[in-house]
Amino acid sequence: MSLQFQGITKSYGKTVALDALTLDVAPQSFTVLCGPPQSGKSTLFRILVGLEMPDAGQILLSGRDIVGDAPAERPIGYVPQNFALYPHQTVAQNMAYPLTLARFPKDEIAARVDRTAGILSITHLLAKTPDQLSGGEKQRVAVARGLLKDAQIFVLDDPLVGLDYKLRERLMDELKSLREELNATFLYATSDSLEALTMAQRLAVLDEGRVIQDGEATAVYHQPSRARSLDLIGFPNANLYSGSVTDGTVTAGPLRHPAPGLDEGSAVIAGVRPEHVRLNPEGPAIGTQPARVTLVENLGGEAVVYLDLDGHSLTSAIPLFDRAPPEFDSTVGVRIDPADILLFDGTSGQRLASSP
Amino acid sequence: MAEIVIEHVTKRFGSFTAVDDVHMTFADGEVACLLGPSGCGKTTLMRMLAGLERPSEGRVLFGGRDVTPLPPRKRNVGMVFQYPVMYPTLSVAENLELPMRHDRSVSTAERKRRVDEVLDVLDLRPLAGAFIEQLDAGSRQKVAVGRAVARQSEIVLFDEPTTNVEVNAKLQLIRAFKRVTKRLKQTIVYVTHDQTEAMTLADRIALMKDGRIMQYDRPQVLYGQPTTEFGGWFLGNPGMNFIPAELDGRGIHAPILAEPLPAPASPPRGKLTLGIRPELVRMTGEPTQGSVGAILVDQAIGIAGRYLTKAKIGETVVKVNTDGRPPAALGGAVHLSVPRDRLMLFADGDRVS
Repeated sequence: MSLQFQGITKSYGKTVALDALTLDVAPQSFTVLCGPPQSGKSTLFRILVGLEMPDAGQILLSGRDIVGDAPAERPIGYVPQNFALYPHQTVAQNMAYPLTLARFPKDEIAARVDRTAGILSITHLLAKTPDQLSGGEKQRVAVARGLLKDAQIFVLDDPLVGLDYKLRERLMDELKSLREELNATFLYATSDSLEALTMAQRLAVLDEGRVIQDGEATAVYHQPSRARSLDLIGFPNANLYSGSVTDGTVTAGPLRHPAPGLDEGSAVIAGVRPEHVRLNPEGPAIGTQPARVTLVENLGGEAVVYLDLDGHSLTSAIPLFDRAPPEFDSTVGVRIDPADILLFDGTSGQRLASSP
Repeated sequence: MAEIVIEHVTKRFGSFTAVDDVHMTFADGEVACLLGPSGCGKTTLMRMLAGLERPSEGRVLFGGRDVTPLPPRKRNVGMVFQYPVMYPTLSVAENLELPMRHDRSVSTAERKRRVDEVLDVLDLRPLAGAFIEQLDAGSRQKVAVGRAVARQSEIVLFDEPTTNVEVNAKLQLIRAFKRVTKRLKQTIVYVTHDQTEAMTLADRIALMKDGRIMQYDRPQVLYGQPTTEFGGWFLGNPGMNFIPAELDGRGIHAPILAEPLPAPASPPRGKLTLGIRPELVRMTGEPTQGSVGAILVDQAIGIAGRYLTKAKIGETVVKVNTDGRPPAALGGAVHLSVPRDRLMLFADGDRVS
């Protein structure tokens, strides 16, 4: 079942929430829409399931425009961000609701409820009512309910937000397996780019109501087509600086790179990922620049080292499996290979070739 | 001297035991983090240190002094809560000064000096005259930290202070905390559920589960040498691999081992697993010395561009953190090897030497 968004536009008064958004969702894929808060993800989903109408554009499901269809007519399962569970029904009844409405046989409903409850680890909650559940448990029940619909496309709006890290880790795995088992299309929204990278087969980067890049997750990570893609995707966040071409060299923050055939004075954005900011913890050595460590975040297997290099903030990420992190307030040597610096047009944000 | 001694402390609420016979010492001048999942008892333990709860059994001693019967105001501890509790119509400097006004041992000059010091260390000088109600949550919490610390009470307690602070401000707060604790030598106990925060801030971490302290060690030791499967699982993104193992006459066998490991001197009882962190498993395209064959079943980019992959040896799934792209496509054959001296043996969840 193919799904295409074509030119979807939606405004609320003067605020443009979706700006002629166009996206092809690969069938039977786990497609993640990743963008900062207020970038239009929830609005797009609400339009997809029929809770809102777009101002313009089409949504083609197997080639047919469904924009005029009522929500109940759309074969799409929906896990909304702000969910409401029926307070006087048990978890099992809440979950069964979409199938009960569709008049499924009782034993089939029971079997599906059991299976989905197992996957989301809520079997022990089936007989409880919502007032007896914690926030995290209610969230899982809402996800389960959205997934029970007899559909080939499921839309999940940031379903794991706020859950503790270890639970999220487990549920991310479960959701991936569930998609495979159902062989359905999952369209998933999150503003956490690490979550997006973990879940996505295909990643669509959303910013200010438009898809600015989409493709295989690893391709989006390694070949950002716009400065904003580099900015939004990856953890720790990439280092980005606005600068310009001076004497044939791009000068942006602490970064220097030969200018690839650009006019003198043209605006350029230069970026480098933290894993490419190499550190010599003993201090500055030949070929390195001195920088002061302003904070070290210890992630266990790696550390995020926050640096001050000549008055510029710079972040480095280093593996820790056989070395101790540098000391807070110490001076280290920093080396950045120019081949790892990514250049973007300072006005449009488009990626520039690094060599003329 | 501001050593904190927790002497066989238990706290029950009806039939539920929130804190279960905790017996330990937080050394003078150290930053100790209480870390654990929600419901582990860390907040209850903290509240007993503060005097907001009475232990059902046991005693709490500060610098050798039994404070168990004392209410919070008699314990001379500074506190920073999740919600900054401050006078909104007073300025930052006035809020910093307030707790010291009632302390007769602090002269006016000394008060001013301490406020000055805190304003500098916490980088709050530009805000010194601003009213609290004008500040965002992150800045308010900085002031809360400053106030608790300016009092120079021997002990300062923090209860998940970054919970309501948004992400960018959180880093500032952590930085501020590091600067402050480096300068001033108070004994600090900091409650958090966030492992990164604990690993970053603590001299030592008390890892808690079900009301008990599972392990109390420096962050790198807790991470590298967990004494329980729970510790190996809870710390790390993602947690440790636990590979089912068996013991027989020839030694320890497991899917990850090409050759059995020598059995330990006293044979352990119970369900055996071998623990190894994903970043320590080596994945190659070709067989190497001591490697075993596996199928690559999952891959995704993780922290700092490294790949988090899953490979299956038979039915056993092993998580592997690789530096670059995995050496095969999904579904393809790979080879896994581990440094045998980094493998950890667990029996029924506890580490066996």
